[in-house]
Amino acid sequence: MRDSLAGRLGDRRLLAGFALAIVAIAVVPPLLNSLWLRVMLSSVIFTIAATGTALLYARLGLVSLAQVALVGVGGWVTLRMWHATGLPFELNMLVAGAVSALVGMLVGLPALRMRGLYLAIITLMAAAGFQILVTGTQFPNGGSGWLGIAVNSIFMPRPRFGHSDEAMLRYASVVALLCFGLVAWARHSRPGRAWALIRKSEACAMAAGVNVALYKAWGFAIAGFLAGIAGALLAGTIGVLDATTFPASESILLFALTVVGGAYSALGQVLTGLLFRAAPALLNDWGVDGNLAYALFGIGLLHALITAPQGIAGQILDGLARLRRPRSER
Amino acid sequence: MYGVFFVTGLAMGALYALSGVGLVVLYRCTGVLNLAYGALGAAGAMLAWQLEQWAYPEPVAWAAALAVATLLSFVYGRFLAPRLAFREPVIKAVATLGFALVILGILNYFWVEAPRRLSLSTDDLGLRMLGVRITGTRVLVVMATLLMTLGITLFLNRTRIGLLMRALASQRDLASMLGVPVGRVEATAWLISGLLAGFTGLMFGDLVRPNPGALTFLVIPAMAAAVVGRLQSLSLTLAGGLVIGVAESMATLVHPIAAYRSATPFIVATLLLLWLQRKRRLTFSGQD
Repeated sequence: MRDSLAGRLGDRRLLAGFALAIVAIAVVPPLLNSLWLRVMLSSVIFTIAATGTALLYARLGLVSLAQVALVGVGGWVTLRMWHATGLPFELNMLVAGAVSALVGMLVGLPALRMRGLYLAIITLMAAAGFQILVTGTQFPNGGSGWLGIAVNSIFMPRPRFGHSDEAMLRYASVVALLCFGLVAWARHSRPGRAWALIRKSEACAMAAGVNVALYKAWGFAIAGFLAGIAGALLAGTIGVLDATTFPASESILLFALTVVGGAYSALGQVLTGLLFRAAPALLNDWGVDGNLAYALFGIGLLHALITAPQGIAGQILDGLARLRRPRSER
Repeated sequence: MYGVFFVTGLAMGALYALSGVGLVVLYRCTGVLNLAYGALGAAGAMLAWQLEQWAYPEPVAWAAALAVATLLSFVYGRFLAPRLAFREPVIKAVATLGFALVILGILNYFWVEAPRRLSLSTDDLGLRMLGVRITGTRVLVVMATLLMTLGITLFLNRTRIGLLMRALASQRDLASMLGVPVGRVEATAWLISGLLAGFTGLMFGDLVRPNPGALTFLVIPAMAAAVVGRLQSLSLTLAGGLVIGVAESMATLVHPIAAYRSATPFIVATLLLLWLQRKRRLTFSGQD
């Protein structure tokens, strides 16, 4: 319902967020040096992936621990497509999204009729399985045959609008905004209403005639699609990919940081992307060992699960809302 | 030739099985699938390796490994797990991932990535069977797995605290209303499972390699064994672990799939899950 006060406030917040993001896309890139451009680019890409994890967690209460593996699937498909066909990057990106969506659905399939815990188990096994598979096959780099492995890698060129790092950061940010738009649209249309009902109670949803399995699968598909887009952008940025980028531990970490950043708002996913890629770089600048970042993130996850279910973003947004309210109501 | 891989696989399978048993005992009693299980073992194994480097006598290293894993498990179970007691099982499981990240981060900080070897004195013993020499460690692992699984089954079936554990497993709310001391019974489960984690971690450290990351993520194949037992049955978990271990090892001999053989546990567990839910419909009253 659009006409409720909360709905309108939400819309206004959404618009404000979009406006802020567009200003940031215009202003921020020239301010960064080359290292931080790369770091921010990586953060934006994983923000897109985190949007998928967050969608499943916040809207359906599902825990997916294979998101980075699905990013790897997207990257593999993008490279495979480009080396085989030379189509424009955008088309390859869409194909990568579609394939990752399909894989995401297949991974979720065994858990569809079982409850939450089994999905976490299966996705974790899928993440570990992907790690083994891709370590064995590696990513296509211009060789012959289906797997396309050559001794000397041929780099896939950057997309047309992203030749410099600065342009690529803008390009990825625009794609990220489109992805946020996709999620917002899904939430405000039929699937979103079905998800809300499923989240409240599966029994209610079934009684109301909602096809629970179908809409859960749809959630997996969108999450997989977002992972595929992120994978394509990663491949487009670097030109080649390496199996060591997509271990199971990264999938676990991305999920953990989705909860820490806040799964319930787009701001949370931006924070997740920053925590995932920018925070380790920042700690490194300060001379803190990167492994301790792991420990901090673990503490963050426990803290978020036990006391702050809305994550950092929830605490920020709550703070802002409290500031806006008249003093007498605080 | 076959014998070598069979025996190697049997030992690995026994460790998967024993880890699976540790996971199942804890899950049944507390409702927590402890994904930090591998990290607990890793902490034990790394400490044992360090003590060995400092030339402490071996029993000290063994004791330290078992003690640190048991202690960490107990601390989590006593102070953090109760704060999530009323959340869904998946949240409880995910929280242990947080604990795993903490342990892993600290271990990687102290023991930077490097080639290491942990050799226990049981490696020097050995016997010949099926035409192969089997090290004492492998014999120990298989025997210990069988004995401990049997022991835990008897413990659950014959002792009072085992009875209370089963009561919690089958009806938590009812059991606590009837006066089962939930805190104490759960603490016992965390202690037992931590001890098993320490033992398997030490053995994995000896048979695979003492590396924090590798040992931490061995929880995933162990979880596959537990899934075979549907997170309920100890005997099925035992069988599942052994079958997975042997199949994984024997796959080395089949050339085209040899590189992917470590995926065996996941394939077995996934196929089994698909088969288990073949006639299932989503209903209101189901549980995880």
